[in-house]
Amino acid sequence: MSRPIHIFIVISLVLLVVLLSMALSMGGFGFTIPPHDVRALARLYLNTTFNLDEKYRYISAMSPEAVTAIVWDYRGLDTLFETSVMFIAIVGALAISRGASEKLLKSSPPKQGMSLIAKTITRITIAMILAVAASIALHGHLTPGGGFQGGATIAVVPMLLIIIFSLYLFSKMMTVYKAVTLRSIGLIGIALSTFIVLIIALLYGGSAYIFQNQPKIYSYYGLPSYIEPIVLGGTLLLFNIFEAFAVAFGFAALLILFTFPEDIMKNIIIGDE
Amino acid sequence: MEVESFLFNIVILSMIMNTALALYGIFTRPSLVKKIISLTIFSDTINTWVIIIGFRHAVPNPIPPVVIEAPTPQYLKQFVMRAVDPLPQALVLTAIVIGLAVLLFLMFTTLQIYRIYGTTDVRKISRLRG
Repeated sequence: MSRPIHIFIVISLVLLVVLLSMALSMGGFGFTIPPHDVRALARLYLNTTFNLDEKYRYISAMSPEAVTAIVWDYRGLDTLFETSVMFIAIVGALAISRGASEKLLKSSPPKQGMSLIAKTITRITIAMILAVAASIALHGHLTPGGGFQGGATIAVVPMLLIIIFSLYLFSKMMTVYKAVTLRSIGLIGIALSTFIVLIIALLYGGSAYIFQNQPKIYSYYGLPSYIEPIVLGGTLLLFNIFEAFAVAFGFAALLILFTFPEDIMKNIIIGDE
Repeated sequence: MEVESFLFNIVILSMIMNTALALYGIFTRPSLVKKIISLTIFSDTINTWVIIIGFRHAVPNPIPPVVIEAPTPQYLKQFVMRAVDPLPQALVLTAIVIGLAVLLFLMFTTLQIYRIYGTTDVRKISRLRG
């Protein structure tokens, strides 16, 4: 591969993009993009996501954030199953790096982590990161964001702790076993907050609705969608909190496994044979 | 020819081109790590593309509202006239999580291949025996 041919390829690709988009914007294909309207399905979602009108009141999901409503309510705990897929990935990672336990980290080197400046700044930023993550997770039913995004933001904290304060210090706070256990507790919390209304309904005798878009006329028990004038979104708030918890600890377990010292891992692999 | 339409078309066609370049990277680079980097570029481009399918050009283009108190029906009617399609965004949210899980597993497998064989070059790995 020579240099002139690289330049020729780049120029031809750029020309292709510009000329094709000129043809498209002049109406060469009989239609213009971007469209000015959305599909009927989208209009249905937007109408029923949060509506106190008489017509839509009983089929509304009662959450101003349409994406969160679709992910939890319309698709029925979809995020629980997609988090389970991530759980399977963690199981795979644990199986591959079997034998890697924190007990092997006993012989810690004398000088740990980065300099004092980096450590002090990290201590300040960790509080800020946690505040932003809590805001994303707790406002998941109001603004773009939600449980998974909040949990992924919290997962930046263990990453910073491992890189700046070293894995030796972090493994004293959190082990892989503890992180996976806490993650399972988060997943169980989602399941429990699903059934909490059912338990209340069984105690008082009656029927309950889990999601706000289930038939509410025939059942009396359910978590409140809003207390005047604050919007709560029913079970969405609980779901988002537990989801953030589960995702954060799942990432913590994976980060510990990723940053395990290479010489110890090599010893484990050679020892097996 | 509208300028907005032209710029929008450039974005979409660049994404198609980006997809093609990422596929080229997946097929031709010998290193497994570079293949994984190309795969992430590929999946991110497809995700952005799916979000753009739900885009709507409303005039005037609204700023996304933050609803804390219960909105009035009149406000909602206005909102439905101008909001974008939320379904592609929800689909992409799922796709990102699944893609992340697949990526993590691929990275762990590559790390293990490097630990055992000492290389991530597919040409050398395919020649190994035992």
